[in-house]
Amino acid sequence: MRIGSHELNLERRVSLSGWQAAGISILAIIVALAIFSIIFILAEINPLTAYAEIFSYAFANPFGLPLTMNRFIFILLCTYAFIIPFTAGLWNIGMAGQLYAGSLAVYAVLLALGVKEFQSVELPATLVILMMLIAAMLGGAFIGGIAGFLKGKYNVNEIVVTMMLNFMTFWVVSFFIKEGGIFMNPGGRGESFELPPSLQPSLIFGVPFTIFIALGAALLLYFVLRKTKIGYEIRAYGENPTAAAYAGISNFSIPLLVFIMGGALAGLAGYHYFAAVPGVYKIARTYGYFGDLAFYGIICGLISRGNPLAAIPVAFLFGGLSIGARFVQGKLGMSFGVDFALLGVLMITLVAFQFFYRYKLIWENSRGEP
Amino acid sequence: MYKVLPENIKRGDTILEARGITKRFPDVVANDRIDFKIRLGEIHAVLGENGAGKTTLMKILFGQYQPDEGEIFIGGEEVRFKSPLDAIDLGIGMVHQHRKLIPAHSVIENIILGHPRAGKILDLKRAEQEVLEICEKYGFGLDLNAKVWQLSEGEKQLVEIIKALYRGAEVLILDEPSSALTPIETEKLLISIKAMSAGDLAIVPFITHKLPIVLQISDRVTVLRKGKVVSCIDTSEATEQSLAKEMVGREVIFRTQRATVEKGETILQVDDLSAFSDKDVMVLNGVSFSISEGEIFGVAGISGNGQRELVEVLAGLRKPERGSVSLDDVDITFADSLKRWQLGIGYVPADRIAMGSIADFSLVENVTMNYYFDHEYYRRGVLDTKKIREITNDIIAEYDVVTPSADIVAKCLSGGNLQKLILARVLSRKPRLVIVDLPTQGLDVGATEFVRNKLIDAKKEGAGILLISEDLDEVLSLSDWVAPIYEGEFMGILPGEDAKRELVGAMMAGIHLDEESA
Repeated sequence: MRIGSHELNLERRVSLSGWQAAGISILAIIVALAIFSIIFILAEINPLTAYAEIFSYAFANPFGLPLTMNRFIFILLCTYAFIIPFTAGLWNIGMAGQLYAGSLAVYAVLLALGVKEFQSVELPATLVILMMLIAAMLGGAFIGGIAGFLKGKYNVNEIVVTMMLNFMTFWVVSFFIKEGGIFMNPGGRGESFELPPSLQPSLIFGVPFTIFIALGAALLLYFVLRKTKIGYEIRAYGENPTAAAYAGISNFSIPLLVFIMGGALAGLAGYHYFAAVPGVYKIARTYGYFGDLAFYGIICGLISRGNPLAAIPVAFLFGGLSIGARFVQGKLGMSFGVDFALLGVLMITLVAFQFFYRYKLIWENSRGEP
Repeated sequence: MYKVLPENIKRGDTILEARGITKRFPDVVANDRIDFKIRLGEIHAVLGENGAGKTTLMKILFGQYQPDEGEIFIGGEEVRFKSPLDAIDLGIGMVHQHRKLIPAHSVIENIILGHPRAGKILDLKRAEQEVLEICEKYGFGLDLNAKVWQLSEGEKQLVEIIKALYRGAEVLILDEPSSALTPIETEKLLISIKAMSAGDLAIVPFITHKLPIVLQISDRVTVLRKGKVVSCIDTSEATEQSLAKEMVGREVIFRTQRATVEKGETILQVDDLSAFSDKDVMVLNGVSFSISEGEIFGVAGISGNGQRELVEVLAGLRKPERGSVSLDDVDITFADSLKRWQLGIGYVPADRIAMGSIADFSLVENVTMNYYFDHEYYRRGVLDTKKIREITNDIIAEYDVVTPSADIVAKCLSGGNLQKLILARVLSRKPRLVIVDLPTQGLDVGATEFVRNKLIDAKKEGAGILLISEDLDEVLSLSDWVAPIYEGEFMGILPGEDAKRELVGAMMAGIHLDEESA
């Protein structure tokens, strides 16, 4: 492209630092918001007002911020469920199924302890909550492990398997919580029985304690993937499975392991929303909505390029915008779906801007052109 | 848009000219003010060691890279390539070292793939006619309807050449044209190249080794060293020694001498080993041999005669169909590859990029490939990166691996430097048995000499070495035992001193030792 005596050219990047990637992502967010302001203008709303409302509700409002935090923790755990297999070059798009299974396992523990019948429990609450967390991880790990096992043993495509397992576990949950299922709420509203107050974990500054799990997972993953033997094996397998096999890294256990780990984290996301977020404390009738929300883990994982620390701000942004945009939709009387539309534009722009991870624009003085 | 080749250019006129081409990468100047001219109808070899900047120059001429400085002229007009498409449109053709063909498609389908005239509806009849004319003009014999996977390496290369010509190439760049070819195929290729230059094409082969080929076919030769042109002369004035000296910058000894070492205990014992290929064909058929301390056991043969399967079975990457393998009297027939590394088998694979290294890993991380499992190099599951970095730095220093640092990613290394790194990494573990598959393939003369000397050093230190090579001179000059392999069987096992070139050559072609002596 030529502008005046200057020429705009594309050049392939030789390398990309983490900061450059971050800069490109921030630019992408700004561009996405600019593009989306067209929607506000068409609705005869000043985009600046709209964005001010979105951001202040999501990140500075006493009612909005806790909602943002809940979403943030959920999306972050789902992001890690994606990132771990992604580091091994595998695609986990089964966070939904894994978190359903994790939630079901949580309530199975309660059922076994007689909580449904007596609405109370004899064991100390801390112990039961610990058991619930472990059950969530096991449930998610089991569903994830199926995909990992099939990939490692028979090289079955993990995308197809995780996708199909999403549908299967969705209906398994339905079977258990609806229409006479053993987990059904006595009130029969198509949801599970409720968590007794003694097992509802207390909030820390209005935020569920699961934030420590999510942030702890960030640090742990960052360390494990970069510094440890097993992290090295996962990365080597992800970069080049042939070379990994040559070096003695098992082509069976790595896929199995990453899907077990990813599934376990997705299971924790299930625990978070259905047993730790205030006001829910049951497998909600709309659990499918949270399954859909889990897919933001994929996009956050891709935007943060598999970096567990970079995933934190990305997940925070997505969590906040989904809350803020929904709020603005109601407040400014816009039509349904503004939040999804905004996140959609943001996703597409962020992915499109990854083009600049590989190319850069350069201005050149073109010589002697008329 | 520029037009293709001015009409008035005749044989002998300069068609392609590069002036002051400079290309910098972080920490290295790959091309430093390179000038050269290609004339129509000449065969102009570009010679240089790995890392001399050949690949970069080639990519610039083909539009894959843009130079930081300098100009390219075609037929006297300055041109700028934004991508290979521009280069192709202006009559530059490229035949890559690594084939870029679709195996399941026929020859003609591969040739027309991407051709602008192929359009949306294929007119195979017409394309076939046009391609046949090209084949006739230069005397290429090729079945256009054969599937590419059925072809030999030489035939595949010919497909790529025809493809470039069909796109209208006037200047044909050949990257390491003879590297994957058997001697007979190489002869055929040279005839084709001669025919093309006689037909007024300019042929520019880029070559790192096999100096005799340069002398045999080229009219002129440009030698690159460390990113600069060190000479450009008529081939008639050059000798193998003079070219090697210009490439490497010092005198090169062409023959490595076999070292005699006292024979020690048996390390590897292989009995009646057989294996299937990926296509479920029995390609390794009952081979038995043993290797002792301080011995090099050379397997000579054209690729595809079961060497790959033999090596993979020994490295634990392929299950044998029958037979047994033992290392130091421990049966390892079914041990996995990790176990074998731990027991002291070191393996240097033929495919350095796809198997031997991880392109986007740093050199330290690549060295980690052979250390991550060793409990001296991790503690409570955390890798001791510091120790591994020290090893990497030692390797870089001792093996003279040309790199700005140990943190650069492996894909930035040239082929020869990568091979040095892999070999050094494997040998640094002091393995009992070293398996080296095509250790000097694609390496320049300096690196080849270096790698061979390192193998001899390992042998002197008591390692047993299994050497797989297509290069007969390499096998004969290094091995204590020579086993020519043909269709998965050893045609005999000869002591190194009895292995005469003609005899081994005949055995490689399938004549059994017993028949030969009878």
